[in-house]
Amino acid sequence: MSTLMIAVCMGLYYWFARLRFGYTLSAMLLQPIVVAIFVGLLTGNMPASMIIGAGMQLVYLGVTSTPGGNVPSDPALAACIAIPIAVQSGMDTNMAIALAIPFGVIGVFVDQLRRTLNAIWVHMADKHAEQANMGGIMRCAFVYPSILGFVIRFPVVFAANFFGQPVVEKFLSLMPTWLTHSFEIIGGILPALGFAITIMVIGKKSLLPYFIGGFFAVLYLKVDVMAMAIFGTCLAFLIKGFANKEDV
Amino acid sequence: MNGNQVSSGTMQNELIEKAKQSSRLTKNDIRKAWLIYYLGAELSSSYERLQSLIFCASMTPIIKKLYHTKEEQAEALKRHLNFFNTEATFGSMIQGIAIAMEEQKSLGENISDSSITGIKTGLMGPLAGIGDSIIWAAIMPLLIALFIPFAANGSAMGGIMPLILYPAITLILSYGLINKGYTVGRDSIITLLQDGKMKQLIYGANVLGLIMMGALSANYVNLTTPLVFSTAEGTKVVVQEIIDSIAPGLLPLLAVFSIYFYLIKKGPRYTTILISVVVISVVSSLLGIL
Repeated sequence: MSTLMIAVCMGLYYWFARLRFGYTLSAMLLQPIVVAIFVGLLTGNMPASMIIGAGMQLVYLGVTSTPGGNVPSDPALAACIAIPIAVQSGMDTNMAIALAIPFGVIGVFVDQLRRTLNAIWVHMADKHAEQANMGGIMRCAFVYPSILGFVIRFPVVFAANFFGQPVVEKFLSLMPTWLTHSFEIIGGILPALGFAITIMVIGKKSLLPYFIGGFFAVLYLKVDVMAMAIFGTCLAFLIKGFANKEDV
Repeated sequence: MNGNQVSSGTMQNELIEKAKQSSRLTKNDIRKAWLIYYLGAELSSSYERLQSLIFCASMTPIIKKLYHTKEEQAEALKRHLNFFNTEATFGSMIQGIAIAMEEQKSLGENISDSSITGIKTGLMGPLAGIGDSIIWAAIMPLLIALFIPFAANGSAMGGIMPLILYPAITLILSYGLINKGYTVGRDSIITLLQDGKMKQLIYGANVLGLIMMGALSANYVNLTTPLVFSTAEGTKVVVQEIIDSIAPGLLPLLAVFSIYFYLIKKGPRYTTILISVVVISVVSSLLGIL
């Protein structure tokens, strides 16, 4: 598929995922591992796309789970730009993550802009309510925010994908080893941020020993992730009675 | 005496029958309201009134059915445009209660505007707390984490499974909760919230969440040092070997905890952390520390 087509499709995907159509459905569409499926279909390179998506996902694991609906970082913008470029230019995962991060930060501002402008539709709905115009209220809740979303979201991803790839490829060919090694280190540390945020959101310091237990169970006992989920679930059921002994 | 009992029994049956008939909303109306709220919960969210617009929009099928004059409809619509924000999966329970109250009001029950708004604003905080800690802090990262190994091996299943399972689980839950809210009403919701079982559920989910975060940190945080010192006698001291001889994975653990305690102390300053990680990585790459 041509760069133009990929840029158009990624722009549309980003718009639709960030539209938040379907409360929990859209929350998953925003995740790098789901964006990666779409990129895999577009580029025809599913394995590379999924591997990069998985690496990027770790950085953003806990990010969407903040109370109040404020996005601290936008995994969808990061993924919709960095995964297609990385797959097409054959970048490795660590470098793709390093490329993704600035876009994740920019995404926050785009969302702040959207939520500020969305206030227009609430005021419009106030007027419709006076007239008991229910069709008008439905349009304010669905149609207008969607159009606004397209205007502010599509161009960002389209432009980055369309113009970005040659720039990125040129840059890659000029990069010294100390810089590529820096990206490896960044890629190794950043998943820690995803986990730290999730632990913070769970918010119970007294339960930290379970984290350390899970950590060393993998290193000493070589338990894999699925097995850990099974044992963890059993343990959670066994000890749930402790809940009443402390203030939740 | 016997006859009395029979007649009071039939009277009760008649009353129940009447009550059933007077309930003018059908399951289909509630389903419509539930679906509108699910589809648009965050779509029109604004800093000014967050979910108020979508809550009002989701009540339109109900309001259309219950009120017939333009004035009554306008009143009801304005009532639901007041500030509202919650976690929308558990929040559907509030929707159920609001629907039940609107229905009673339309039947001539003395329910004021402020009591409907009061219930909504009173319950939105506690239910957001429960919903955030179960739906967003536990189920979501756990589902993703569970299938990351598939994605890391290049399989699309790593994304497809969470994409299907997460909406499925939350849809079933929110549909159950809106009906629960509609049938049992606010008093039993409040007892339900104080019930120990809810606490246990959150506690169990948190424990599982932390175990999984630990397991994933061990798998995916990658940090080693290439530092090697040569002693005077010419033997080489490999720093990473010394660290590993104490316990494996100490550097990754240090990375997670440093970021965690920074977050606890300074609040969610993600951008600062991101920039710091980049700077530390570049500097230690140049110096050969990491």
